Amino acid sequence: MEQGQTMRGADAVIKVLAAHGTTTVFGYPGGAIMPIYDALYGSEVDHLLSRHEQGAAFAALGYARASGKTGVCFATSGPGATNLVTSLADALLDSIPVVAITGQVASAVVGTDAFQEIDVLGMSLAVTKHSFMVRSIDELVPTLYKAFEVAASGRPGPVLVDIPKDIQLAEMQYQTPLQALETPVVETISNLEQAKQLIRASKAPILYVGGGVGMAGAVEQLRDFAKQTGMPSVATLKGLGAMDKENPLYLGLLGMHGSKAGNLAVQASDLLLVVGARFDDRVTGRLDSFASKAKVVHLDIDAAELGKLRAPDVAITEDLREVLPALSMTLDIEPWKAEVAALKAEHEFNYNHPGSLVFAPRMLRTLADKLPEDSVVSCDVGQHQMWVAQHMWFRRPEDHLSSSGLGTMGFGLPSGIGAQVARPDAKVVVVSGDGSIMMNIQELTTIKRRKLPVKILLLDNQKLGMVKQWQHLFFEERFSETDLSDNPDFVTLASAFDIPGKQISTAEEVEPALDEMLNSEGPYFLHVAIDDAFNVWPLVPPGASNSDMIETLEKE
Amino acid sequence: MMIHALELELHQRPEVLERILRVARHRGFKIIKMNMRSTSDVDATMELEVDSERTVDLLSNQLTKLVDVTQCRVLSSTQTAQTASL
Repeated sequence: MEQGQTMRGADAVIKVLAAHGTTTVFGYPGGAIMPIYDALYGSEVDHLLSRHEQGAAFAALGYARASGKTGVCFATSGPGATNLVTSLADALLDSIPVVAITGQVASAVVGTDAFQEIDVLGMSLAVTKHSFMVRSIDELVPTLYKAFEVAASGRPGPVLVDIPKDIQLAEMQYQTPLQALETPVVETISNLEQAKQLIRASKAPILYVGGGVGMAGAVEQLRDFAKQTGMPSVATLKGLGAMDKENPLYLGLLGMHGSKAGNLAVQASDLLLVVGARFDDRVTGRLDSFASKAKVVHLDIDAAELGKLRAPDVAITEDLREVLPALSMTLDIEPWKAEVAALKAEHEFNYNHPGSLVFAPRMLRTLADKLPEDSVVSCDVGQHQMWVAQHMWFRRPEDHLSSSGLGTMGFGLPSGIGAQVARPDAKVVVVSGDGSIMMNIQELTTIKRRKLPVKILLLDNQKLGMVKQWQHLFFEERFSETDLSDNPDFVTLASAFDIPGKQISTAEEVEPALDEMLNSEGPYFLHVAIDDAFNVWPLVPPGASNSDMIETLEKE
Repeated sequence: MMIHALELELHQRPEVLERILRVARHRGFKIIKMNMRSTSDVDATMELEVDSERTVDLLSNQLTKLVDVTQCRVLSSTQTAQTASL
């Protein structure tokens, strides 16, 4: 890069993005970020216009999750910046590397309640890993470099950089900051011997796999470890895709809507090997009864997670790519493996559902089996999200995008857009519900704008299904504000955005409709009417132990 | 309840105090005494006393994660005689 070149701060912003390999930025222009949009015009960095800043930021999250790169989004001051809050919070809870750049009013009027002025730095504190307000042109480029470094290093997360308009317009001489050398190779792993002793002594160990495995790039090491040790495994929502589905002792999702076999095996275990996971309450159920006989070996890069909810017997914070091979060994646990295999066989999901209606779990299983090698499923939040987690399978963690920690309805569509931009050759399917899709429905225009071949599979029960399920189970069937029977005609709606589609409502239509959707050239909207009597099973009731799963409670 | 004394070394940024106060509040620690001073144009130190039923690691680990906190030490932890009125 040419050093010492004179340019505006705004031009330097674009140069820093290009230097970090950012191919596409997602955003929305406005007054205080106009110099940056001017610098973008005709530049080497591509920009995709969303129709709401929340959509832009979710697209940046989807781009990051599907590609492993850092996502970038732009918004203007005031309302532009406040609209980013939900997406940044989502990235914080799911440890997604994102850099959000916001325009701010000119330095001279900061603090005067100027037009479209809000204290964005103050607002950002609770929803970012770190944030900056650039106070002089000299700070600009080093700050942006630091933002990329903080977003992607250690436990990744969102970083916001607020740039006043006068700094965007100020002239400067571009200098690439000096950067730290690459992280040194791990030479010694702390507590390794203690961890190995616990693993060796265990008769009933379980691998509890979280999102940290994929983010550490340790999928191969995890699969090798599971193969050599023969250890049975379960995964969190973000950990799905890390284990090989062909592994006979992989029991899928654990926790509130996890597999019964997975939860029972965890409860019976004498050792939990926790890999890049954090004992979330949706995983543990009642914490004091979660795997209460098990010793805990906790592997996580974030030391603040160790002992936060469950005291580990041994904890290791070094790189999983080094730690997992160093811990690997052959184990003599044949009786336990047989016990787990029997549990798995006993509690397999049953896809034989009588009747002519569409049975969503079976449809999603069929979809998973039909997806090509390079594919991404981007979920929304609710019943369909849990069905995806239970019944679909994924080749890699980056093939399954879900708002796991924050549980943000409206995540799926824009996140799928970001994934399609990051992986243009991938088959990207957004699986959404009739509640969630309406939260960011404006992003259908973004699909139209770029002619993205995103497929949208909408499961429509005309209800806010997950809330209704809880009203059914825990609130005496008082169905307060969960009826959505006044939904729009979705296929007509999609056609207004030049997205073809169709509606189906019977089981026999499922296979041909999925084929039509997957084989279509461009975007496609498949509207699937399902019965609102279908609920998500099994379930651990709130406050209960994971040993006490309800398998079904249907008056259906 | 326990009273914990902590000592922090900080980058002197305009918002660093807000970050520390926010983490303490959100993680369930009541600040009962605080002293901060700049040690140079770019650095500062802070002594903090907090009261909580929660283990102090919950706070110190989160403070350590703040980019502008360069060091966080727990100096002492003492049991209080009475339950603090909130």
